[in-house]
Amino acid sequence: MIDHSPKPPDALMRAIAQDLKPVKPSPRPLRLALETAPLALLVSSIILLAVGIRGDSGILGPLLTWGASAAQFTLAILLIWIAAHESTPSGRLPKGSVYSVTVAALLVVVAITISTFSISPVGSTLHVAGTLRVVPPLIMDLACGIGSTVAGGILVLLFSWMFRNSLGIRPTVAGALYGAGAGVAINAGWRIACPFPTLRHALGAHGAAIIATVLLGALIGGFLGGRKFHSADRDS
Amino acid sequence: MIRYQGGSLEAFQEIYAQLAAAVRRYLSHLASGSEFADDLLQETFLQMHRSRAAYNPAYAVRPWVFGLARNVFLMNRRAARRWAEVHEFREELPEFPVFPEADGLGSRDQIRRGIACLSADQAEALLLHHEWGFSFDEIAGMLGISAAAARARASRGMADLRVALNSLQRTRA
Repeated sequence: MIDHSPKPPDALMRAIAQDLKPVKPSPRPLRLALETAPLALLVSSIILLAVGIRGDSGILGPLLTWGASAAQFTLAILLIWIAAHESTPSGRLPKGSVYSVTVAALLVVVAITISTFSISPVGSTLHVAGTLRVVPPLIMDLACGIGSTVAGGILVLLFSWMFRNSLGIRPTVAGALYGAGAGVAINAGWRIACPFPTLRHALGAHGAAIIATVLLGALIGGFLGGRKFHSADRDS
Repeated sequence: MIRYQGGSLEAFQEIYAQLAAAVRRYLSHLASGSEFADDLLQETFLQMHRSRAAYNPAYAVRPWVFGLARNVFLMNRRAARRWAEVHEFREELPEFPVFPEADGLGSRDQIRRGIACLSADQAEALLLHHEWGFSFDEIAGMLGISAAAARARASRGMADLRVALNSLQRTRA
């Protein structure tokens, strides 16, 4: 039986005293989410610098080209804000709201994809190194799928570093949410560059990349949180 | 908490002195009165130490630590072996505190039995509000539900507790 006096047990005190270096308090969820925005914008814009804006942007118009991507990007930051709340022990949001926003974000991505396809079903050719190229669909699927997964993966790693002190609880759920944020943010930039509007390509290759970043975020978040939890276990 | 984040061992001792007893009773409630609550208490404070950088001074310390305690319990429950250990104690009545609002409704033993009859969600919301004094907003943040849902759980819990106590008293009579 452990002594229930208000004095901490010796073993606990020893474990605490071993590691008492000062720490910087984690920012509030909104600030943490806003701090991720410039990084997300930078990484998601790289594809635009590499291949330029899709050739059919004139047909799509500014609303469906830039406006839709801005909406996706805002949803991505919202998902990251929810992730920051989910990992705060006393700041969790209602489960219903978390699930609703997550599903809504994914539905918005699907709706934008369908709208883009309905207005410009043919798409355009790809600019590579200043020349127009006709690229086989399978190669485009692989390029977009792998490319946006790698870009999303980089963003997930950066977010994991930013969240490293903020994973108080539910690290797997928080990781999946900021992974979803990373995936949606990357897709916001990628869709302005990718000239292939077909649903198979846009939902298959780009959608798979979003799913991959969700899984990667969940894995890294779970690993970071689990490591923290189990190291506490070992100390006891 | 800010002094503790700055590296003060005395600040940790103060936090422990202020919160340990209440957190232990909460863990005891979650673990159905198991002696395992003592281990969970130590794990909670170790977890608090590991996660101290995750604390933002904008949040109140007490619900933050209770939220961590709940998470420590849930993480341990997932470990099947320990979960089995917790359930070995379910035959005994959990060490439920008797809060002032329920004090006049029956004897301590009857109230403990009544609370044991409630659903886990209702009992948790009821005790967090009436025994540990958390607001419904704080409970909502800890449990991942809306403040209205927290209020409804506590309110239904209290109503069901009254019904359970009435039927217990009728049975005795």
